[in-house]
Order: sequence, then structure tokens, then C-alpha cells
Amino acid sequence: MKLRFPASEKLLRVACVLALIALPLMVWSLFDPTVWPVLVALSVGQALGTLSFLLFLIAVARDLQLKQRLARKAAAPEP
Amino acid sequence: MGWMSVASAATAGAMLLVHLLRRRPVTAFTKLWLLVSLGLLPIVTAGTANIAGFEATQARTFCGSCHVMIPHAEDSGNPRSFTLAAVHARNDSFGKKNCYTCHEDYGMYGYVLTKMGGMRHVYLYLTEYRSMPLEQSKRDIRILKPLPNANCMHCHTTTAPGWLAIPDHASALESVRSGTLSCASVGCHGFAHPMTKIGKEL
Repeated sequence: MKLRFPASEKLLRVACVLALIALPLMVWSLFDPTVWPVLVALSVGQALGTLSFLLFLIAVARDLQLKQRLARKAAAPEP
Repeated sequence: MGWMSVASAATAGAMLLVHLLRRRPVTAFTKLWLLVSLGLLPIVTAGTANIAGFEATQARTFCGSCHVMIPHAEDSGNPRSFTLAAVHARNDSFGKKNCYTCHEDYGMYGYVLTKMGGMRHVYLYLTEYRSMPLEQSKRDIRILKPLPNANCMHCHTTTAPGWLAIPDHASALESVRSGTLSCASVGCHGFAHPMTKIGKEL
């Protein structure tokens, strides 16, 4: 069975949710500057934030690829 | 710095919620909207929060947030204490960052090396000392290696005429510079903290 990557809309929604989790984790240490909040902000917060941005980039790259493929198909002569 | 981090996080969060609730189709506008809310603003948040976080790791309250360090932090913040740590903490150049200022490795990569050492402390705290009773920790937890005199000489130069005029300094000059005699030892300036060496002198 071939694994399919989720659709761009779904990917972007997941990215949004991840970012919504990451952002409070990143700023938590500002309100409670003790060991665990700082460590979580610098590790889990950063990792989730980076992952969400990567998912966004993947979705954009996939859309661009799809657009290029459609344009190529449209430019090709009719058989 | 903190307000910028919170403001960018709040703006990004609001923009992301709008996107999620409105279920917009993926158009060029949506992508631009998400570039700002998933990319630009979180990068500002992460950058400013990182700087604030690293600054926070230099504060005495941060060092004292592990229970085994509470006695050290409380003593050095005590205005009535006359330990080396407390006397230095009353100096504006040390202030609330006095733990870091004294324990920071001296040199070009001092900050990085100090933070790597700090991560080791966190690891040891998690694996060994987390449930250690305070009384036991006062006796058993000690600095990994003696505080190098270079850290003291960062401020107290051994070449100043006033320093050399003190007979004990002049006679121990080579030992102090080579590190074979610690500034923070019995007979010299005494231990920096009152509870670190109980029963187990280095």
C-alpha cells in the first residue's frame, strides 16, 4: 500500500495547531523563568515551532509543484 | 524584549485561530497570512524568547529553582550574610547574577562551556538528586572541581600594587596564579558558601 501525504489544507491545519501549542511553550519561560519552563521553551517549543513552519513550507512547495505540472500539461499539444 | 516576544506570539496565535476557524481555502492570500503567522512572527517570538531565556539562566532565582541549590541561593541573597558569595552579591557588578558571574568559565567560549556544564547539572539533578533531602544535599553535593582562581582574577588582578602590598598575597603569588592555592580556601578568604564543605572538604 502506498502511503499518501495529507492534502495541503490538512497539512496547514496541523501546522497551525502545532504552532498554537509551540507559541505558549516558547513564552512560558518569560513568566516563570525557572529550570523547566526555560528548558521546555528552548527544546520542545522550538522543535514544535520549527516543525510547524516546515509543514507550511512543504505545503507551499507541493502547491507550486502541482501548479507547474498543470501548466506543463496545459502547454503540451493536444494528441 | 519580553513584551516583544509576548506581542508577536499573541498576534501569531490570533492569526492562526482566525485561519483555523474560518477554514479559508488555500489561496495566495492564505499562504501570505500563514507565512506571517507560522514563519515571521514565531521566528521573532523564538528569537526574543531565547534571548530572554538565556538571560534568565544567569539569574540567581534560576539557579535556586532546583531545591538542592536553595540554601546557596538564599545565603548569597541574604543581606546579613558575610560569606564570599553574599558579599559579592551585594556588589552591583554581580547583583542578581552573582552565581553566574563567579561560576562562569573564563575565556572566549566561557558562556557556551558554562551552559554545557549547566546542562550536566540538569541531567544529574534529574537522574540523581531530584529526590535527595535538603540536609543530605548540603553535605553530599559539591562543586565538580574547585573554582579556578582565574574566575576571581577576572576582577581581582594579581598585578595591582594594592593587592601585592598585602603580605599574604605577595608570599602566595605563584600558588595563587598557578591555582595550587585556592582563593576560596580556609586560611585565605574562606569557602564561598557556608554549607558546601560540611564534613567533606575538597
